[in-house]
Amino acid sequence: MIEAHHLSKAYSRGLYALRDLTLSVSKGEFVFLTGPSGAGKSTFLRLLLVQERATEGSLVVNGHDLTSLSRRDVQEYRRGIGFVFQDFKLIPTRTVLENITFVPEVVGVPRAQQQRRAFQVLKWVGLQHRMSAYPKDLSGGEQQRISIARALVNDPVLVLADEPTGNLDPDLSLEIMNLFREVNAGGTTVLVATHDRELIRLVGRRTVTLDQGRIVDVA
Amino acid sequence: MRAVDYALRQAWASLKRSAGASALSVVAIALAVIVLGVLLLLTWNAQQVMAQWASAAEFSVFLRDDASSEQRGAIETALDQSGIVAGREYVSKSQALARFRREFAELASLTSGFADNPFPASVEVRLRPEAEGDGRADALVRRVAALPGVGDVRYDSEWLSTFGAGLRTVRGAGLMLAAVMALAAAVTVAAVVRIGLYARRDEIEIMELVGAPLAFIRGPFVAEGLLQGGGGAVLALILLWTGFALARGWWGSELGAMLNGLSVAFLPFRLCAVLVGGGMAVGAAGGLAAARHAGRGALTEPSGGR
Repeated sequence: MIEAHHLSKAYSRGLYALRDLTLSVSKGEFVFLTGPSGAGKSTFLRLLLVQERATEGSLVVNGHDLTSLSRRDVQEYRRGIGFVFQDFKLIPTRTVLENITFVPEVVGVPRAQQQRRAFQVLKWVGLQHRMSAYPKDLSGGEQQRISIARALVNDPVLVLADEPTGNLDPDLSLEIMNLFREVNAGGTTVLVATHDRELIRLVGRRTVTLDQGRIVDVA
Repeated sequence: MRAVDYALRQAWASLKRSAGASALSVVAIALAVIVLGVLLLLTWNAQQVMAQWASAAEFSVFLRDDASSEQRGAIETALDQSGIVAGREYVSKSQALARFRREFAELASLTSGFADNPFPASVEVRLRPEAEGDGRADALVRRVAALPGVGDVRYDSEWLSTFGAGLRTVRGAGLMLAAVMALAAAVTVAAVVRIGLYARRDEIEIMELVGAPLAFIRGPFVAEGLLQGGGGAVLALILLWTGFALARGWWGSELGAMLNGLSVAFLPFRLCAVLVGGGMAVGAAGGLAAARHAGRGALTEPSGGR
């Protein structure tokens, strides 16, 4: 699913965010990416979302060579990726249902199908009864579950999560990780960046540790 | 079609959310359209009046007192064969005197002391309207003036040309002013749309990340400008029409007398549609200018580490 070979991302004045990273993630695998702040976790996720481009090496995801994708191909590629952020990034002026339906809407899915799929994912995260609520009326855990539902609504082949439990207490964090485990059990590849070692231990999946832009451990 | 539907729905929602700022854009566009509308109203009516005057344009061929009937016949033949004369009328010396006494009654007593009738006989010629513009009228006047028996030819085309040139100058200056105001209105729309763009940066980022086409990302902002522009133009037309109706109510009779019974009219539907279309285009341009970078990359840093 993800094939990174000698991948580097350098900024000006020779500062490397990632250096010579080689990593392979199989289809249907669940992988943690961990390391201290500044290790390069978020940079790697940004490269996977094509928010930035690598300066050296190659990065192929689900058959797409991300180092050479055109703008139009980036759009197409992103339609197969789900993403979850630490700060949820829900739209405050839209209801829970609208926050989810707008994702298939803007990629051209017919309205009836948008509603049906949104209800399915809301039910899956256990928040179908809150579909008319606004994000400000939800707890942090509920907002993150909505964020996960939004990530899944287009049936992605890969889900990327950047510190998805960073704003949540330990119990809620485990609950969110269990959701990711269920997503993964359905065959979706999941890559979670977190610095929460205890959570990684509890979930118990392959863990890639980065430090100063390099892989220092794979366990 | 889905992108258009989505853009219009989002634009309408955004206008409702930021009603105050949107009103500012609408007023800016309305002001620009009012300036252009007043200019069009004045020049369009002036053109209509000028066209009627031009269609009624005529020249007078004054005959010498000693002109023979053969010479008068030759003059009338030259006029008839020119192909640009719509009609002609011979006015004898006695008819000219009677006309003077009728039209200038307060001066009529002056003519009673004349031993001889001082008014010359004339042929009054009405021209076809198209002869004014292509120079054939001028050529005919020169030819007739050279014929034997002709004392003088009076042709009032010069003031029409001067009036037309003045009208063009006023229109040019007005168009420049309207263009500057339209630019200012577009900048205002762009500033207002940019505020909305900033407020919706998370939404735009999510749209980018799910692979939404640019039409979905930028469309709502262009549609917002379009609606503001259309609203401003319609508001301007309502205000213009109200002002026009009031002015006609107050000064209609004086104006009618001044224009020899010709009436002024509001802008035709075609020009109103052009003004609304122009307002929408200015608004859409402002929206597009504000949103031109949206969808060209991530707008915020992801949380967490580097």
